[in-house]
Amino acid sequence: MSGIESINARRRPIVRLGVFLISHSLIVSVICCIAAILALLLLPVLAKSTYVSENALMPGSANTMLSNQEVSEADRLVKDVNALSLESVDAGINIAKLIARYMADLGAEVCYHKFRRQQNQFNPLHFFLSTDPVVVQRNISCSSFGVNTVGVIRAPRGDGKEAIVLVTPYNSSRIDAAEASSLGIGYSIFSLLSQVTWLAKDIIWLAADSRFGVYAPVASWLKDYHTPLFSGLGQVNAGVCHESNDLLKLKDAMVSDTNISKIFTRAGTMAAALVVKVVDRHNEADEDTLSIFAEASNGQMPNLDLINIVNYLAVHRQGLRVKVEKFWSLLDSKFLNFVGETVELLGKVAKSLNPNWRFGMPVAEYVEGTATLASSLFNQALGVPTGPHGAFRDYQVDAITLEISPKGSLKSMGQRIDFLMRGGRLVEAVVWSVNNLLEKFHQSFFLYLLTSPSKFVSVGIYMIAFALLIAPLPIVAASLCSDANRRDSSLSKEGSSQPHASADEPNPTLKSWRWLHAAKSVFVIHFWSSLVTLLPHFISKMPSGTSASSLLIWLSLCILSLFLLYTILGSPFSHITTSRPQEWAILKSVTVSAAFIGLCLMSVINFATAEIGALLIVPMCLIACPLKLDLQDWSFRALIRAASNLTLVLIAFPPATFYLLKGGIEGSDSVSVGNFWNWLETLWAWNSATYLYIGMVHLPCWVLCLNILLHPR
Amino acid sequence: MKKNWYFNLRTLLFSFLLFISSWVSSCSSSYSATTMHTNNWAVLVCTSRFWFNYRHMANTLSLYRTVKRLGIPDERIILMLADDMACNARNKYPAQVFNNENHRLNLYGDNVEASSVDYRGYEVTVENFFRVLTGRHENAVPRSKRLLSDEGSHILLYMTGHGGDEFLKFQDSEELQSHDLADAVKQMKEKRRWDDAHDHHVLGFMNWFKELLIMVDTCQAATLFSQLHSPGVLAIGSSMKGENSYSHHLDSDVGVSVVDRFTFYTLAFFERLNIYDNASLISLFASYNPNLLMSTAYYRTDLYQRQLDKVSVTNFFGSVMETIHTDTAYKASSSMKSLDSEMDSIIDETASMDERRSLISTNIEDQIDNSNMAQNCPFHKKMSEFYDKIKEIRDVDTLVNYGLVLTLPVLAVSTLLSR
Repeated sequence: MSGIESINARRRPIVRLGVFLISHSLIVSVICCIAAILALLLLPVLAKSTYVSENALMPGSANTMLSNQEVSEADRLVKDVNALSLESVDAGINIAKLIARYMADLGAEVCYHKFRRQQNQFNPLHFFLSTDPVVVQRNISCSSFGVNTVGVIRAPRGDGKEAIVLVTPYNSSRIDAAEASSLGIGYSIFSLLSQVTWLAKDIIWLAADSRFGVYAPVASWLKDYHTPLFSGLGQVNAGVCHESNDLLKLKDAMVSDTNISKIFTRAGTMAAALVVKVVDRHNEADEDTLSIFAEASNGQMPNLDLINIVNYLAVHRQGLRVKVEKFWSLLDSKFLNFVGETVELLGKVAKSLNPNWRFGMPVAEYVEGTATLASSLFNQALGVPTGPHGAFRDYQVDAITLEISPKGSLKSMGQRIDFLMRGGRLVEAVVWSVNNLLEKFHQSFFLYLLTSPSKFVSVGIYMIAFALLIAPLPIVAASLCSDANRRDSSLSKEGSSQPHASADEPNPTLKSWRWLHAAKSVFVIHFWSSLVTLLPHFISKMPSGTSASSLLIWLSLCILSLFLLYTILGSPFSHITTSRPQEWAILKSVTVSAAFIGLCLMSVINFATAEIGALLIVPMCLIACPLKLDLQDWSFRALIRAASNLTLVLIAFPPATFYLLKGGIEGSDSVSVGNFWNWLETLWAWNSATYLYIGMVHLPCWVLCLNILLHPR
Repeated sequence: MKKNWYFNLRTLLFSFLLFISSWVSSCSSSYSATTMHTNNWAVLVCTSRFWFNYRHMANTLSLYRTVKRLGIPDERIILMLADDMACNARNKYPAQVFNNENHRLNLYGDNVEASSVDYRGYEVTVENFFRVLTGRHENAVPRSKRLLSDEGSHILLYMTGHGGDEFLKFQDSEELQSHDLADAVKQMKEKRRWDDAHDHHVLGFMNWFKELLIMVDTCQAATLFSQLHSPGVLAIGSSMKGENSYSHHLDSDVGVSVVDRFTFYTLAFFERLNIYDNASLISLFASYNPNLLMSTAYYRTDLYQRQLDKVSVTNFFGSVMETIHTDTAYKASSSMKSLDSEMDSIIDETASMDERRSLISTNIEDQIDNSNMAQNCPFHKKMSEFYDKIKEIRDVDTLVNYGLVLTLPVLAVSTLLSR
C-alpha cells in the first residue's frame, strides 16, 4: 500500500487533477453543461460596445459634400428608369443601356458584364472550391443571360492599386420604385465622386442585374474580375446565342457608343464593398431605417470595423435607425423574459453592493439582445450568405449589405429626393472613411456575434460556452473506458476462482484491445454516414421528384444501406457475449470521443455550427445508456434517464430538429414535409459546411446513440 | 546573463566617458558661461507618417514658419518630415497644408521651398536623427543636411509624433527612447572636447551648442526628458507622464485634425510677437493653460543656468542675440588682455564661422579651433600672457643681471640647508 501511496505522491499535479476529474466525471459533466448554458444565456450581458479600432478610418471627420445638384440628377435617372419599366414589360437591356449612358456622361469608364445563369449544383468533389466556369450546361436557353453594368472612376491622384465597390442590385425584368431609387443612390454618389479630388482608391459601381437572384450576378462578376481572362465581351458571346434579341441590342449599343469599353474594366484590389438596397416597407417605420446584413458563407463575417463605421455614420450623422436581424418570435418568450428579469435583479443587487459594478441590463434590452444574438448565431451556423455581400467574402473582401427603407413613399418627389440625399450621404461618408484606409481592414474582430448594431460578443467570450460544453466529453470517455476495464478485471478475477468459466476468458493481452471492436462499429457508422452524405447528389439528378418524395427516397436509402452495411461488416450487437456486460460503455466511450473530435474540427470551420451542434449532441451523448438496463432497474432515476434519453434522441434527429425549430420560429402552419429536403438542398447549393457537419458528425453520432439505447446490455 | 554583461559594459563605458569629460573639463569648465551666443539653429522633426497624422506635419510646418519669420534663416533650419501630406492623394487641396480650418494660411506655400525639407519620408529615421544631432555623417551628405552649430549656438529641437512612456515613435517601426535622446545631447556637448583632446583628430564636423531647447508635442512628452543630464539644456513637453496630448480641432473640409493643442497655443503665443519683442521664456511657458491643453505642459529647468524670465524667446525661436557695442574697430590680432579681447575674439569667431562655412578643409578649421581655444581656455590664456610678457622685455642684459643676483640668496639658503 505504501508503494501505491508514494506513486500517488510522486505524480505531477496535472495528472492528479486529471485523475480527480475522471473519477468524478458525472459531477464534472453536469456542472460543465449547466455552466455552458448559463454562459450562453449571459452572452448578451457580456457584450461590449463597438468601437472603431482602426485609426485611419476617422468616420464622420469630414463634411459630406453631396448636394442637391447630384441628387436631382439622380432623381432624373430614377424617373427615366421608372418610365422605361412602364414602357415595356421586359425593359431588360434598355435599363443597362440607360445606366451605362449616365455613367459615361460622368466621364467614368463603363463596360457591360454579361453572365450566365448558374445552376448551383452539389458537386461532392468540389466542395468548398468554386465551381468550374459555366461550360457544364450545354442547352442553356438564350434568355438566361444577365447584363451587369460596371462603371469605374479612377482616383485622380491615387496609385490605382485599390478600389472600393458599390453594388446596387436591380431586377431588370421587373424593376420597382425601390430598386430604381437604389440605382438613384448609386448614381448620386458616383456623380459626386467623379468630381472630387480626394480619392485615393478607385470607385467601382456595379449595377447588378438581379433577375436570377441578387447573389449570382455579383458572384460571377467577381469571378471574372479575379480571373485574368483577357478577352472581350464579343469573345464570350461567340458561344451559343447569336440570335438572342437582347444580346444583339447590347452589341448594337456597344458599337454605337464609343464611350463604352469593349473589354472587361478592372481597377485595383478591393478594399471594401457596399451593397446598397432600398426596400419599401412603408407599413412599419416612422423614420428611415437601415438594416445591416453581414453574414457570408460558412459563418464568415466582415471586419467589425466596417459595421462600426456604417453604424456610427448612420446613427450620428444621418439620424437613421439602424437594425440588425433578430428573431422576432423570441421577443415574447416567457423564459427569456424571466431570465432577463433575473439578470436585472442581479444587476441591481450587485450595484447596491458596490456602485462600481456595472452588471446587468434592463429586461427589454436583454431579450432584444438575445433575439439578435440568436439570429446572428443561427445565420452564421447556417453558412448561407445573407445577401450579395457574401460573394465578396469568398475573395477576402469585407462587404456588407445596407438595406435602407424610407419612412415615406418613394412615389412623391420631395420625399424621394430627401431619401436619396440621406442614403447618398451615408454611403459617401462610408466611402470617405474607407478611402482613408491604408491597408486592408485588419484591426478589429473577424469572429464575433452581434447583439445589437452597436454591441458585440467577441470570440474570446462566446467560445467559453462551447469549451465548457465539450470539456466533459473526453473526461466521460476516459472514465467510461477505465470503469469498463476495471469491472472487467474484477470480473475476470472472480472468473478465475471458478474454473469452469475459464473457457470464455480472453487472452489478457487482447483484453486491453477490447475497444477495437467498438471502434470498428463507430467506424462503420461513420463510413455509412459519408456515403449517405453523398446520396442527395444522385437523388437530385433523378428527374421529376418533389422534395417530399426525394426526402423519403433518401431516408429509405439511408436505412437500407445501414442494414446492408451491418450485414456485411457486422453490427455493434453482433459481438456481444454475456461475460462482458460493459460492452455498451466501451461503445459509448468511443462514440463520445468521435463526437468530440468532430465538434472540435467543426469549431475551426464554422464555430456557430459547432456551438449549436454541441448543444444538441453533447447532452445526448452524455446521457445515452441502454434502455434495457433502465427498464430492468425500474427505479425513479432510471425511468427519468430513459425518458430523457428518448426525448433527446427524438429531438436530435436532424429532420426532427429542423421541423421543431422551423415550427418554433415561423409557426407550425408553415411546416411541410418537403421543407427539410429543400433546406438541405440550399445548404449544399451554397457549399455550406453545415451540410457536411450534419451528414458526417451529427448523423453518425445520433445513430450511435440510438445503437447504445437499443443495446442489449 | 547577457543583459547583465551588457549593462556592465555600459556602466563601464559610461564611467569612462565621465572620467574623460571631467578630465577634459578641468581645462575648460568655465568657458561655457563666458562664450557668447552667436547664432541660432532649429531642428524640427515630424516623426509620424500616414494621412491621419496630418496634424503632426502641420505642427512642424507651422513651427518652421514661425522660426523663419522670427529670423532663423532657412539654411540653419533642419526640417525633417516623415510623410508628405501635401501630395497625399487623400488631400482635398493638393500641395497645400493648413493648420487651421479657416484655411487662411497655406503652410506649404511659398515659404517652404523645395530645399527646405531636409529629410523627408523614409529618410526620417532614428539613425538619421542621431546623425544630425551628433554630426556623424557620411562624407557624401551635403552641408544643408548637417547641423553645423558651434559652441555659441542656441539650438531649438522641436519634435512631434506619437509617443509613450520614455519613447517617441518614428515612422511606424522604430522608437527614440529617452536614453537615446539624452545620450545624443550628451555627445553634442562633449564632441568638441573629444576632438581637442586628440589634437587634430576630428570626427566629422564639430557639434556644439551653448543652449538647447527641446520642445516635444506628444503623449507623455515629459517622460522623454527624464534621462537628460547635460548642462545648458532646457526642455518642455506637452504632457506629463500618463497624460495624452490632444489635437486641437478637426478640419471637416479636409477630414482630419489639423493641429495639436500644445503647438496651437505655442503658435498663438508667437503670432503676437515680432522679431523685436522681448517676451521671456517664462511668459511662453506660463501661457500654457492646462484646461485648454487638456494636459499639463511640463518644463525642466534644472540643467539650465539662466533665469527663464531673463531669457527672451527669440533667443531660441528667433535669431536675436545680444549686441555688444565696441569702441575700437575690428582687429585681426587678438592679443588684448581686457574684456575687449573677449569681444574681439567673438567677432573673430563669427568671422571664422563664416569662413568655416565656405571652407571644407578640416585643417584650416583645426587651426582656427586652436587659436580660438587659446583665447578661451584659462590655462592657455595664462601661458600666452606669460609668453607675451617675455616677448615684451627688450633689455636682455638687465634680465641676466637680475637673474645672477637672484641666484645668490638661493645659493646661500641651499648651503645653509646642506650643512
